[in-house]
Amino acid sequence: MSTREAQREPSEWSLTLREFFLGQEGVLVVFLVIAVVVLAFTSQNFLTSKNLLNQARLMTEVGLLALPMTYIIITGGIDLSVGSIFGFSAVMLGWLWQEQGFPLEVAIVASIVIGTLAGLFNALFIVYVRVPPIIMTLATLALYRGLAYGVSQARSARGYPEWFFRFGQEDTFGIPTQIWFFIVASIITWIVLARTPFGRGLYAIGNNVTGARFSGIPVDRYLLVIYTFSGFMAGLAGFLFTSRVSTTRADSGTGMELDVIAAVVLGGTSIMGGRGTIPGTILGLVLIQLLKNGLSLSGVKGDATIVVIGSVLILSILINNFLQRRFAQA
Amino acid sequence: MAATSKAYKSQTVESGFSLRSLTHLLGSQEFILLMSILALSLVVYSDNPRFGTERNLLNILSNASYIAVGAIGMSMVIITGNIDVSVGSLIGVLATIAGQLAVHDYPIWMAWTAPILAAMVVEGFIGFLVAYLRIPAIVVTLGMMSILKGGLILATGGAWIYDIPQEFFLAQRQPYGIPMPIYFMVTLVILAALWMHYSPTGRAIYAVGGNAEAARLSGISEKRTLMTVFILHGFMIGVAGLLFATQFTTIQSTVPPGLELMIITAAVVGGVSILGGSGTVIGAMLGAILIRVIQSGMIFLNVSAYWLQAVQGILILLTVLADILRRRRQAASIGK
Amino acid sequence: MKKLLVSLILLAMLVAPLAAVLPAKAQDDLPTNPLACPWEEEEAAEAEEGEEAEATEEPMEYNGGQPVNPPDLKGKPIRVLDLPKLIGIAYFAATTKGLNEAAEELGNVTIITDAPTEANVDDQITFIENYVTQGIDVIAFASNDPVAISPALRRALQAGVHVIGFDADSEPDAREWFVNQATFNGMAKALIDSMVEEVGEDANVAIVTSSLTAPNQNRWISEMLAYAEKCYPNLNFLETVPSEEDQQLAFQRAQELVNKYGEELDGIFAMSSVAGPGVADALTQMGVCDQTISVGISTPNQMRPFIKNGCAPKVVLWNPIDLGYATTYVIRAVVDGELVPGDTEVEAGRLGTLPVINGSEILLGPPTVFTVDNIDDFDF
Repeated sequence: MSTREAQREPSEWSLTLREFFLGQEGVLVVFLVIAVVVLAFTSQNFLTSKNLLNQARLMTEVGLLALPMTYIIITGGIDLSVGSIFGFSAVMLGWLWQEQGFPLEVAIVASIVIGTLAGLFNALFIVYVRVPPIIMTLATLALYRGLAYGVSQARSARGYPEWFFRFGQEDTFGIPTQIWFFIVASIITWIVLARTPFGRGLYAIGNNVTGARFSGIPVDRYLLVIYTFSGFMAGLAGFLFTSRVSTTRADSGTGMELDVIAAVVLGGTSIMGGRGTIPGTILGLVLIQLLKNGLSLSGVKGDATIVVIGSVLILSILINNFLQRRFAQA
Repeated sequence: MAATSKAYKSQTVESGFSLRSLTHLLGSQEFILLMSILALSLVVYSDNPRFGTERNLLNILSNASYIAVGAIGMSMVIITGNIDVSVGSLIGVLATIAGQLAVHDYPIWMAWTAPILAAMVVEGFIGFLVAYLRIPAIVVTLGMMSILKGGLILATGGAWIYDIPQEFFLAQRQPYGIPMPIYFMVTLVILAALWMHYSPTGRAIYAVGGNAEAARLSGISEKRTLMTVFILHGFMIGVAGLLFATQFTTIQSTVPPGLELMIITAAVVGGVSILGGSGTVIGAMLGAILIRVIQSGMIFLNVSAYWLQAVQGILILLTVLADILRRRRQAASIGK
Repeated sequence: MKKLLVSLILLAMLVAPLAAVLPAKAQDDLPTNPLACPWEEEEAAEAEEGEEAEATEEPMEYNGGQPVNPPDLKGKPIRVLDLPKLIGIAYFAATTKGLNEAAEELGNVTIITDAPTEANVDDQITFIENYVTQGIDVIAFASNDPVAISPALRRALQAGVHVIGFDADSEPDAREWFVNQATFNGMAKALIDSMVEEVGEDANVAIVTSSLTAPNQNRWISEMLAYAEKCYPNLNFLETVPSEEDQQLAFQRAQELVNKYGEELDGIFAMSSVAGPGVADALTQMGVCDQTISVGISTPNQMRPFIKNGCAPKVVLWNPIDLGYATTYVIRAVVDGELVPGDTEVEAGRLGTLPVINGSEILLGPPTVFTVDNIDDFDF
């Protein structure tokens, strides 16, 4: 059955209603509706715009990383180093500004560039030395985290000027500033994936990399772009995180890669490659965040909450598989 | 699983790697690792001869043992094209089970075997979801990781276990002056290596990981092989959990941080291809030892504590690169 | 083979410059304030009392924050979020026990304990935001990062929630009061004095800390180095190694230190409740306690076997149950309006009256040194 899906042509990627409800997005929407209704009844503070906006603020960093991760997993790859790049570029921001005396604006740009370069470093080895992505990023997971500790000497940089907090702690046009970054990034990545030759190329690589090469898709260049893009987004997220928490720590973002992957996989992106959408990833992301928040507001403690999230992850994929088998074959 | 073989096939075409050359490659991966371990040890030894004392070497091997035992099962799982990120949480749960039985006056043999059985049940369940319900292993084990981690705190409330009877501490024993974990590591690695090399099921693991389609055609039951692998993996994780639990006088009810990454890294550094179908458990053991030698060696070389992780990262990267370059050269020479 | 050699040389070259870096000490940059040495104490006692008297004459002004329009809950039942650094370790299980003990005595306080399973400040922020939205009355926190947690706490104050810190502080204006278990220089003095009593002052010692980013640990180490420099200039600090919050890693680090320095190493400071048993276990299992001992910060129950076998003859800690207990009393006093900015002391049940120091901190008292003589009096 999975073979059948894997062979689905990218051009079939227009969503029909039937496919939507049989696909992971449909399962997620149902889960999300159930969750929102139940949680809204158990806590009157849940369904308020203040709470939801606040949750969106907390979700932004993982969200920014989940977008490129969707691309990468669609091609059959993975990037385990995102949490470390995130921490490394955040640390570099603080270090360049406080220890090296660069203007803060320059430090921000430089830290994002450093994140991008870290992604590029992964990409070069993955593409030109053919190191499998999981191995390369497993090694750089340790390396970038180590650089964060080494460069900063584990000291945190704090005391930023007031304007810096505009990005992470204040509102712009009525909603938390960093959500605008996420909205813009989501729309762009969605359109690129769903509507451009580049996006179709990613699915083709995930389905059959050799076939993709033969059909003239510049596989190497595409892979180079997405892993570098992943580093760029990690740098951007690191900057927004620093602005939100007003300090840099060498250990920030530890273990984040698993949160990101969980959101992407919950969103229906196949870890084997060839299948997945940006709306799916966003739904997965929102479901996890709302569950965490709603359960907490209803008086469920953190340890029980992560049990629920783990179960939802397995169940949702299980239900999707079941639906696929039951109806999609007809 | 078909998708695994698809990914694998593409790799096959790109690197000219084939099952036929597998046996040819085996020796060299382990050789590279062994040389890296020896060379690194020599560098450290020449700087600080105390690195070479018997006690230090035994400490390193002993600390590598439970990682190595865990990596045996992990490499089997990886060879079939799957992965298990829940092992760290599972080991934390197993340690608590063992410790709770021991302090509540259950017989010691029960406290030792219960975690192994529990691990086999959990991994069997994971295997069932992966093999029969076809949920990707990373999804199942990511979910399982959360469930175990949260469940552990829910069940224990975070209390630590102390006042455990002395005979419980299996891993602290030293028959003939050699720490117990080393015996476990060596015995299990030899058994697993023989099993994977000579038994039909053992060889089927490579077949399933290498090319599931072909494996099916040649009459190998992919599902049953996967179940076997996960249950065996459970056994190994159970033993690793036992070694971990009986090492310390107190047992934490938290999950050891980053343990799953360490075990996966050991397997991967050991030359187990994450794309499935190649690698050996001996390599995985050497990978675990290499990680510990690096960790320990850095302390002896006075590497600043702030740079420890970065140096570790660089060394792991170098080992992996050396392995990859060697594979490619060999693949190229076979191609001729 | 040639390639192998080349890669090995490359490897060695990469390692060499890093190896030249001096061993890390894991200090922070804040100014230190070492206390008087033991032999100065008697003569200095008067002088110091004088100093203290001066200090109380001119107390530091209140520098905490205040909640905005908090509801009047005087005498009414309140719900308190107990947010430790993480759950699943014995130390914070003990503070939670203390919070609940006092809550039972008072009868009108409900403690809800909820925290991440790993010491992660980002998760803590999420917990704070969720509980503020839920409508909690008081937040009692032990922060994983003093700066990162502060914006979330300030928002809690804005929302009219009372915010009290214990164990690990935030920025002062992000909470009303901080219940301080022991002053940093007091801990440093107790640790160094304990070590010197065991190994003498011409000794080589090493430090196994928790994480290199842990603010409390870095502060203690800074104060320890300053105090040792002042009182025991011959006490030689070899190096500081991190062990995260990982017992296995602490165990391994202690083995490595003993193997590296051999008999030269006289003592190891274990700087966290997790490192304590890890280091002592390693020394016990290696059978080297006649040469190398450990002095650490940890809880009595898990250190009892090592205190008795002489591998960790002295363990320094405040009583975490008392810390939690005092925190609940402070919370009640703040909510009832009995502890207001400018006060110099507060009533805390069986602990009696606790002093206010540094403007907005409540001091629990001097740290306790657990030894073989008193260890059996404690059960936590």
